[in-house]
Amino acid sequence: MISDPYKVLGVSSDASEEEITKAYRKLARKYHPDLNHGDEESAKKMTSINTAYEQIRNGNASQGYTKNYQQNTDGRSNGSTSSNDPFGFGFNPFEGFDSFRRGFGFHEGDRQQRSESSNFDQVKSYINAGYYDNALNLLNNMKDRNAEWYYFSAVANLYLGNKITALKYAETAVRMDPDNPEYKRVVNHIQSGGRVYQKQSSDYGRPIVSLNKLCLGILITNMYCMICGRPC
Amino acid sequence: MFGYIVANPDKLSPDENQRYKSCYCGLCNALGARHGAVSRVTINYDMTFLILFLSSLYKKGCTYGRERCLIHPVRTHTFWTNEITSYAADMNVALAYYNFMDDWSDEKKVLSLLEAKLLVKENKRVAEQHPNQCSVIGKSLIELSEIEKSNELNPDVPANCFGKIMGEIFTFKDDEYTQNLRAFGTALGKFIYIMDACIDLKQDLKKECYNPMIMTPSANFTDILNLLMADCIEKYKLLPIIQDKKLIENILYSGVWTRYEESNKKIEKGDI
Repeated sequence: MISDPYKVLGVSSDASEEEITKAYRKLARKYHPDLNHGDEESAKKMTSINTAYEQIRNGNASQGYTKNYQQNTDGRSNGSTSSNDPFGFGFNPFEGFDSFRRGFGFHEGDRQQRSESSNFDQVKSYINAGYYDNALNLLNNMKDRNAEWYYFSAVANLYLGNKITALKYAETAVRMDPDNPEYKRVVNHIQSGGRVYQKQSSDYGRPIVSLNKLCLGILITNMYCMICGRPC
Repeated sequence: MFGYIVANPDKLSPDENQRYKSCYCGLCNALGARHGAVSRVTINYDMTFLILFLSSLYKKGCTYGRERCLIHPVRTHTFWTNEITSYAADMNVALAYYNFMDDWSDEKKVLSLLEAKLLVKENKRVAEQHPNQCSVIGKSLIELSEIEKSNELNPDVPANCFGKIMGEIFTFKDDEYTQNLRAFGTALGKFIYIMDACIDLKQDLKKECYNPMIMTPSANFTDILNLLMADCIEKYKLLPIIQDKKLIENILYSGVWTRYEESNKKIEKGDI
């Protein structure tokens, strides 16, 4: 937690969402490691800018898209998840992960305080029943975000097909509690599919040609505007 | 956002290369025949993949033809078409139209509005023929621009939205394959959206505009993209693809990385 996130971004605490985002992007342009040849100082600075920005946005939960988005789609997503079929695909996209889910019930976060763990009990039963959206809603309303919180959020997001979020949260859980084997197992589980694909893909041979070998003419015209014939 | 789903010609046999090129030329031909010469320039390789994929799944044959075109005015070349080619040409026009409209409403590029105007009649015809696809494309692009405007930091949110568009385009008709096809298209769409964001990150940072990957360290990009393609392959394997299987797998395992590898090479050279 940063005590004064507004100060980090250099905006006043009554700045509008738009002003805050503008300030954030300006700082990102200055400090993002990709524009600073991986300079460590700017990477550190960027981390605190990111934290501050996230903190402000999470605090103003009424703003931003995520919140509205979840509310708008609540009816639909609840309806579909109840059939254990989050996207209406007609099959469970995580088939074969059952062992993962079965093992799930045995893991108890006993080391945490009782009150918190009873909250997570509810989350856990939602996840086991396939109500991933409900589990996420419950998690999003929790204030204290400890390693266990990140772990459960990772699992719920994984089942909803939000793999990028799932990986990020699972890695955060491992960072916060490196000794917990279950957290590492989830990170591994999320990454395993990607590794298999990467292996097959590199066996195939990654492309080394430049794109214009395919069909020079059309690709060039594609980059140009339909009307003036100039790139735009 | 288009033109990422290409083949890696180095790993294709001469026959496969020919088959792929003629598929592309067939799409170009169908665009000209169905929607007028001007629509030809909106052609993109993603729709070529759509033709290969759906033709394989639905075991469609094809009709061959020969033509000269503006790009290759001297040599005649072979192309092939079938009913999927017509469908892909329609989707190509709808995507181009909404894309131009989107650029107009987001960035107020007058040129984009003019370009959209050129396609407005064609798009109307397409929308009448494929109401489901077109309403999903239109609605999702509006939703996507709202997500981007709110500077959504969770990359899964806009990627899911873009995925919906590709998912819908892959559902050629209502049958036993629809759900698996939609899942496959959605996964591919998510990959396209995130890869586009990874490639554009530096430029977006400089222009101070939206990029969903801004908080993700670029060292993780390749892992994340592998994860998304793994998801796509998982869904691909649920569909009985036999015809042109080697060509399709060349695209899914190798070709889809062409633009990414190319942009990484530019970064190494310091061009960006």
